[in-house]
Amino acid sequence: MSSDRYSRQVLFPPIGPEGQARLRRSRVAIVGCGALGTAQADALARAGIGALRLVDRDFVEESNLQRQTLFDESDARDSLPKAVAAARKLKGINSQVEVEGIIADATSANVENLVGGAHLILDGTDNFETRYLLNDVALKRGIPWIYGAVVGSYAATLTVLPQRTPCLACVFPEPPRGGHETCDTAGVIGPAVAWAAAIQVAEALKILVGREEDLHGSLLAYDIWRHRWQPVRPQRDPDCLACQKRQFRYLEGQAPTVMRLCGRDSMQIHPLESRDLNLEALRARLEPFGPVRANAFLLKCAIDSYELTVFADGRAIIRGTEEPAVARSLYAKYIGS
Amino acid sequence: MPVKVIIPTPLRQYTAKKDAVELDAKTVGEALATLTTQYADLRRHLFNEEGKIRSFVNVYLNDEDIRYLQREQTPLHENDVLSIVPSIAGGSLLRGNCSGPETGPTDR
Repeated sequence: MSSDRYSRQVLFPPIGPEGQARLRRSRVAIVGCGALGTAQADALARAGIGALRLVDRDFVEESNLQRQTLFDESDARDSLPKAVAAARKLKGINSQVEVEGIIADATSANVENLVGGAHLILDGTDNFETRYLLNDVALKRGIPWIYGAVVGSYAATLTVLPQRTPCLACVFPEPPRGGHETCDTAGVIGPAVAWAAAIQVAEALKILVGREEDLHGSLLAYDIWRHRWQPVRPQRDPDCLACQKRQFRYLEGQAPTVMRLCGRDSMQIHPLESRDLNLEALRARLEPFGPVRANAFLLKCAIDSYELTVFADGRAIIRGTEEPAVARSLYAKYIGS
Repeated sequence: MPVKVIIPTPLRQYTAKKDAVELDAKTVGEALATLTTQYADLRRHLFNEEGKIRSFVNVYLNDEDIRYLQREQTPLHENDVLSIVPSIAGGSLLRGNCSGPETGPTDR
């Protein structure tokens, strides 16, 4: 590849040749490889980051294509895991970047291994549990991380430098939870995601090239449809359990075995011990119950009104129920307890 | 004191789609009380059962967090702007309690 590759970015004075060399030495972990994660990964790979690690628990579906810019129709048709599909695309975009796609659900049991070696963590998740877990691990290890979330046309982002800026728990001490909460879906449009990802990536570049004084320092919220801009100045909470008292409640919590995937009419089952399933053998066992489709990474089987997607590590996503007991019994019956 | 309250997109469904509400109030608490009297459905999204502002909702006076001012007692001045900033899940979800009751640490 010619030295011209990064020339336009190197000409930008805050980056320059020194900044470009720093990017080259950087390792970034992106957790969640949906709309935000693919936009972040695409931009960072093009910018010439040294190594990118993509972590995602899901597979590509047709409904993702409207906004998840690294995926195409064949990925959806093949139900490729998002981490795998994204890593393949990125290698074609920039072969100089070391790209690693990991099919996993980040939990308290594995998140330190997944992101602990990164210089920076980018939030591409769609749920509070993983986000507070990222906040804990980032604070514990002193790794900067950048929160981002998008709903409808509304997006929010916050950059966290451990012990120097407010953390997620300073700003929002608790995630919404409790039996009265329901999953409200409001859809999401691509431009709102692109806005949030652009801010996150710009912040990432500033941190990685050592220009922290240029960070925006705000909790930014923007409605790209109605053009409502809502930047506010959060403060460090002197009583923050996470960054002041260093009580990492999410990191120390028990990893869940069953979780509802909100708004998707699905449950995820995460066995306590990671397994190494023989997908071929499982295929043979499930075929009498319903049609089975498989690729090298996962297997899908339609049984009655349910669809079971089983990954090689034993994790399963069961569509057709939001009842933990139903999901557990389907898992026990068809995959094994 | 005439002030403006900016309603974030995720909560606009409870304010008849209004993105800003103008009202008269002397303190932040009074402004939020007036707002949630006018739009009763908004109340449970801003306040918990004990009537306190929920921990995943932030209220800013101009661009300062009221928790570091005088909270609900913070006095308002003419043309002040109050912003409500809730935490959002993402992935097209407004409020997702994705994992149900079985996970996460207990409330403090």
